[in-house]
This record gives sequence, C-alpha cells and structure tokens, in this order.
Amino acid sequence: MVVITTKKPDEEVFEALENYKIKKLALISCGTCAALCQTGGTEGAEEWKNKLEEKGYQITSVVVSEDVCDNRVMKKDLRKIDDELRNSDAVLTLSCGLGVQSIVTVLQNKYPEMPVLISNNTKFIGMTERIGRFYMRCRACGDCYLNYTGGICPIATCAKGLMNGPCGGMVDGKCEVGNYEKDCGWILIFNRLKAINRLDLFSRLRDARDWSESGHQQEVVFR
Amino acid sequence: MVELKIYSKLGEKIAKKEFILTGELEPEKTCDLSPYVVAANVTDSPLGIVTINSMAASHIIQKEANLEVIWQLTVRDVNKLGIAGMIMGAQSLGIHNILSLTGDHTALGDMPESKPVFDLDSATLVKLVREMVDKGSINGHEIEAPPKLHVGAAANPNAEPMEAEVLKIGRKAEAGAEFIQTQVVYDLDRTIEFLTEINKYKVPVLLGIFPMKSYAIAKGFDTFVPGVSVPKEILAKWKSVKTDISDKKQQNELYDQYNYEFFKPFIKELRQKNLLAGIHCMAVHYPRIFPKLMAIIQD
Repeated sequence: MVVITTKKPDEEVFEALENYKIKKLALISCGTCAALCQTGGTEGAEEWKNKLEEKGYQITSVVVSEDVCDNRVMKKDLRKIDDELRNSDAVLTLSCGLGVQSIVTVLQNKYPEMPVLISNNTKFIGMTERIGRFYMRCRACGDCYLNYTGGICPIATCAKGLMNGPCGGMVDGKCEVGNYEKDCGWILIFNRLKAINRLDLFSRLRDARDWSESGHQQEVVFR
Repeated sequence: MVELKIYSKLGEKIAKKEFILTGELEPEKTCDLSPYVVAANVTDSPLGIVTINSMAASHIIQKEANLEVIWQLTVRDVNKLGIAGMIMGAQSLGIHNILSLTGDHTALGDMPESKPVFDLDSATLVKLVREMVDKGSINGHEIEAPPKLHVGAAANPNAEPMEAEVLKIGRKAEAGAEFIQTQVVYDLDRTIEFLTEINKYKVPVLLGIFPMKSYAIAKGFDTFVPGVSVPKEILAKWKSVKTDISDKKQQNELYDQYNYEFFKPFIKELRQKNLLAGIHCMAVHYPRIFPKLMAIIQD
C-alpha cells in the first residue's frame, strides 16, 4: 500500500512560505511512500534544498524519515534535530498529508508556534504497477465489498462509486468520465465474476452504501 | 410485476396494458404535445449541464400545460436524505411519475467542480421510492402521508456487453421498477434480442426512439451521442434530402416521411412480438412528428 502524492506547483509552495514570512526552515522528507512517488525521499529533499537555497532560504536541517506518519518515529527523528528546529521558522514536509499532521502532533507541545507546511498533494491510496504508474483501487470507505465483487472495488474503480453498475455512461466497457479511455469498473467486475463463474453475485441487488459509520471522523482504537 | 395501485395516467395505461406514447421535454420548452402523449419526461440537468431543477419544471409544466410529467430524477446531485425529501415534495406538487436515473457525471458538465454525490444508484432509488410508496415508510420510519408515485428505470439495448446490461435490468426489476424507458435504438435485430432477454423480468418497456428532424440532427446524434450510432443508410438518405432538395417545406415533408417509413416497420415488428408496452419519443424540437407517430401506433 502506498499513499500516492504528487508535487504541488513550486509557486504554490513558495507562496505559502512567503505568507508565513519564513526565512529558515527544516525539511522533513518521507523515505517510504513519497520516495516511491518521487515527491520525497533523499532526492526530493535534495531538490527542494537547492530550490530553496537558490531563493535565499536557509535550510537548517534535512531529515529523510522512514515513517513520517508514525508519531513514535517522528518523535525520535525530531529529537535528533532539536537544536536545528529551535533555529527554524518552520518545517517543510515532503510527504503525504498524514506526514504533516504527524509532525504537527509531535511538535506542537514543544514548538506550539511553529508552522508545518507541505510540498505535496495527497491523491489516493494506490496500487503500484511500476514506478510512475499508480492506480486508485481503494477509497478506505470502511466496509469492504470485495468478497462479492470479484476482488474489484466498485467504490474506487467506478467513477460514480455505484453499488449497482454499470450505468448508462458505459460504452463498450469504457467510462464516460475521461472520454471513454478508462475501463468501466462495473464491467471489470462483470468480467471477473463471469471468469470465476459467479455472475449470481453480479445479479444481486445491493443496498446503498451505509455511511453511518464512515461519513465522519474515523479512528481504530483497540488497546 | 406486482399488482399496482394507480397514481397517474401513465400508471393507468400501464395497468390496462394500453399502448403508450411518452415524449420528452427540455424544461424551458412549451408543451404542445398534450394531444398525443400520455406523459412527457422532464430531464434533470442532462450531460451534467445545469438547468432549472427538474422537479420545479415538472410542477410548472403539469400546472400550466396540463400535461402529465415523468420527473427524471438523477442520484448525481443529492444524497439519500435529500432525495427522500424531494420525493415527498414531488407528491405535494402533484407529480406522480419518476424515472430513476444515475445521471451524467458532474465532470462532463459545465460545473465540473461540483461534488458528485451518487449516494444512491438508479436501482436503490427505485427501491427507496417503492418503500416510501408501498410501505409508507423510510428506513422503517412511518411517513404520515406517504407519496403516491410510479417509478420507472432506464435500459440501454445498445450496451455492450449486453449480458451485463440484462442482469442490471434484473436488479432494477427486483428493486420494483414499474416501467422501463430505453435508450434510443436504431438496430432492430439488437433491439429484438435485448427486449427478448429482459422480457423475463416482466417490466413494461417503452422503447426509446429519436426521429431525426434533419440531416444535421441525424449527423450530430450519430457523432455526439456516445454508444448510439445512426445506421449509414439512414444518414445517406437524410443527406440526400439536404443536398437534393432546396425547398425547406419539401425537405421537411420528406424528412417526416422517411422517419415514418423507418419507424413504422420497426415498431410494428416489436409490437407483433409482444415486446413493447409503448414508445418513448425523444424528438425534442420536433413536435410535428407526433401525429405521424400516432398514425403508426394506431395503425
């Protein structure tokens, strides 16, 4: 599983830095998902360091962390650069949205006034075909139907997230969204269920998705 | 199909197994079809291009033109809670037919930044309407004065793979669809095959047709409506009217005649095979074709 990110346009990041009147900053780069997406990792951190220094920013520290989204790891990694943080106006994070929030969680007691900014946009939970080809196959909606849809998720692969597709926007197995270039999720499901001789599952009338649990903040707490 | 109560003229004709003609209105059009059609569909922001709300338009058309409407309701823009409220609202406005549709994605239209909702789908919307009408409840909670509405669904005989479409119609039938209106068809063999396949679900079918007012319309329909192609011989014939005849009146008469000649045997054969409950004519901007269609139907 990878949280897929793309780079924000440079101007948008610089605009945010100017908005906060930042001069000195620490870079925290994700060495896992963002590294795979080429939006973080060692190379991404190096790239941003150069871009920022060219514009006159002072980089106080560069950390490539294996688990930016894990509070425990972040605590440990940030402790190592505490002197540099004290000398920084802000942190710029090269990660997904989780990374930023993890850093905020860890930093906010000791450095309550320090802004934590982000250089990426978080797109989706992705399946990797190869580097540079990632596909949204799960929307983390909280209630998996995959046992009944041939292992293909209608919420993620159908543009409308329908429970009873295909809709009238399907033409020759392709979806109306994106000019009929992408596969219709429900035809993928149909083909898969046909292959495993389970079209009875395709024929089934499914209830509307139940959002009563997942339509708001989510947490898993078991100890 | 379950024995139904009757809430509208459309419902009555379906129950009596009378052959039905319905039309289609874009909300801003006037309604001079009333002598011919039992009811007219009122579209719900087709192609995701925003128009006046179809429930409001339906109400006004019914009130001002005394023409029964089939309110097209998509699940694109409103969640289940909102749709349930709209269904009760429709009842209060005297609307008694709903065509349940998914709706073209917001990404296609003129407000692509809108959040696409799709909380329900076209089948679960049918189920919701039937629960509200038949059980007088929503999620088990009683409705003090339940709505009295008929609900239909769409089908696409042109869909490929056809088997997936057929099984999908099975779901809509199970959900309680009382009638089906199809996408526009031009291919008789395919239409026979599809209608024969869905015959087992025993939902009355109104066949979608689109008589073409001019060569430009025929060509445009062929080019721009995904999944529907106008047969080459029709296009050639319609083109000949445009190129060979200069008098506008004569052109119109010939287009009308060609439509009549094409659709007459088409409809006749399907009726002979007992595959049709009626016709849904989507010839928006072409009201003069309706007397000819009536002639076909009454023949």
